[in-house]
Amino acid sequence: MTSRFLMIAASALRALLLVLGITVLIFVLVRVVPGDVVDLLGIEGGLTEEAKQQMRQELGLDRSQAEQLLIWLGRVAQGELGLSIRFQRPVADLIVRALPTTLTLAFWSFVIGLTLAIGVAVAAVIWPRSPLPALVNAINVWSIAMPTFCAGILAILVFVLWLDWMPLLGNMVLPCVIIGIDVAGQIVKPLHEDLKETATAQFVRTAHAKGLGRAAIVWRHILPNSLSVVIALSGLVLTGLVGGTITMEVLFGLPGIGKLALDSVLGRDYPTIQAVAVLLAASVVAINAVTGIVARLLDPKLRT
Amino acid sequence: MDRTAAKARPADEASPLRYDNAQGPVSIPGLARRLIASIPYVIVAVAVFVAIAGPTLSGVDPFEQDLLNRNQGPSDTYLLGTDHLGRDVLARLIVGTRLSLEAGLGGVLVALLLGGLLGFAASAAGGPAETVFYAFVDLIRAMPGVLLALLLVVALGAGLGPVTIALGVTFAPIFAHVARATYHRELAMDYVTAAESFGAGRWRILFTHILPNVSGAFVTQATIVLPRCIVTESVLSFLGLGVEPDTPTWGRMIAQAAQYIERNPVAVLAPVIALSLLTISLALLGDRLRLRLDPRRLVDEGARP
Repeated sequence: MTSRFLMIAASALRALLLVLGITVLIFVLVRVVPGDVVDLLGIEGGLTEEAKQQMRQELGLDRSQAEQLLIWLGRVAQGELGLSIRFQRPVADLIVRALPTTLTLAFWSFVIGLTLAIGVAVAAVIWPRSPLPALVNAINVWSIAMPTFCAGILAILVFVLWLDWMPLLGNMVLPCVIIGIDVAGQIVKPLHEDLKETATAQFVRTAHAKGLGRAAIVWRHILPNSLSVVIALSGLVLTGLVGGTITMEVLFGLPGIGKLALDSVLGRDYPTIQAVAVLLAASVVAINAVTGIVARLLDPKLRT
Repeated sequence: MDRTAAKARPADEASPLRYDNAQGPVSIPGLARRLIASIPYVIVAVAVFVAIAGPTLSGVDPFEQDLLNRNQGPSDTYLLGTDHLGRDVLARLIVGTRLSLEAGLGGVLVALLLGGLLGFAASAAGGPAETVFYAFVDLIRAMPGVLLALLLVVALGAGLGPVTIALGVTFAPIFAHVARATYHRELAMDYVTAAESFGAGRWRILFTHILPNVSGAFVTQATIVLPRCIVTESVLSFLGLGVEPDTPTWGRMIAQAAQYIERNPVAVLAPVIALSLLTISLALLGDRLRLRLDPRRLVDEGARP
């Protein structure tokens, strides 16, 4: 019990350190950029040199980089993300507004992907002589050959323009299905391989000998054995979904985190970029930490 | 791509349920199968040829605007039609092929140098150098892929060079982990002990003994990373980052033509199909190369530990 607690505490500490490191890294990356937001606004609004200087002073951009970093870290530690320079609104507001869209997108994509992958992989093991194993490969190949933004454009062409089944802007169905298939493509093949491998084990022969049907053997005996594989693949896929929704958000005009990140990067909106980047990186670290812990708790081989 | 990693395991004859599906549901005769199997080779060969000789051979200026013939479908003058500024889509597609391969190969090369070579150096140096280097690698790995490339491209500025570096940094951790895994694995081998007993130094052992032995792992990993690099570059230029707005990369062509997709779908479909064919062909070739070079499945070690 104590070793488990220690393991979880160590994972959490490691995750915390990673997030801190990433925060500094992102700060450095963002500030390396030549030209700041004041320059950009100046070009747009025709500000005088004095007005620009005053603005920099107000925003704290005239201080040294190290000072800015410390000030920012201190504020974040207090839960204060600052003000978006571009939108003149608290960054926290912008994030809270964008988060539901991205979370909905990521959640349904993951659900669709996982369901499809498990369904097809299991069915392909139950009926190995059917075309289902070929479907496993087809989904896998599709996800490699079709980056989601290409699939998105094809889907818009077919379902929105030609068939006229659904609207383009704010459409959530197409992006979820497209990312879902991509997610399935990443999971289905390794899962299928793992299921096939387990199918050769002795306990499967035992189950067969006692008269259990194929479907029952796969569902009750083989699939539970692949649980750790499913969890590991889910972690991989979930980290990919962080930031992976950006092209879909741009294509379908969804006001999510990805769109916010892109807009703030293009507009040199430091406080927003930093906050969003740290949020995304922290989600990746958290997902990895949680899947790592769950995998260790479930798998007796990994237990230490 | 690691997701296609087939586990080369002999089918267990003893399995009562015969779950092995070595024989697919449809059996294709030998010659047809060989022809189908050669398709990826042909596509990659064509892409390389087009990238090298295409821009000179076609003789069409990809920047020339024919404003009277904007958003035209395929015709005799413009085989793949024109885009929203009346530029020849085929000519732009050809230049885009070169840019895609340049960015992809360049990105892999940078990733190999940054991740692989530095990874070996850090592993061989050991001690704090190794710890610090791999802590940094972990930091980069924890960043969402697109976000890191996005920030790097913005930090480094526009152009193919910065994009290549950004791609290299994004994919470097994969090679760094292969470097560490293979270095420590090889260090325990007898031939290294033999070299040590002859008095060879750490660095001599690394460069003349270990590196040649593990190069296969890096080649196969590179074939996995190459298509991903090409896709990431096109995502970046699709989002409006990376190369200059005028440059005819596939991603930029897709983004620009997408606005006129209803009037002229060919201008969008051409780069989409090109990107998808090249990506899948490279991935399939990589798979085959991996099976040939490394039948013992040692390749994936360290890629995703």
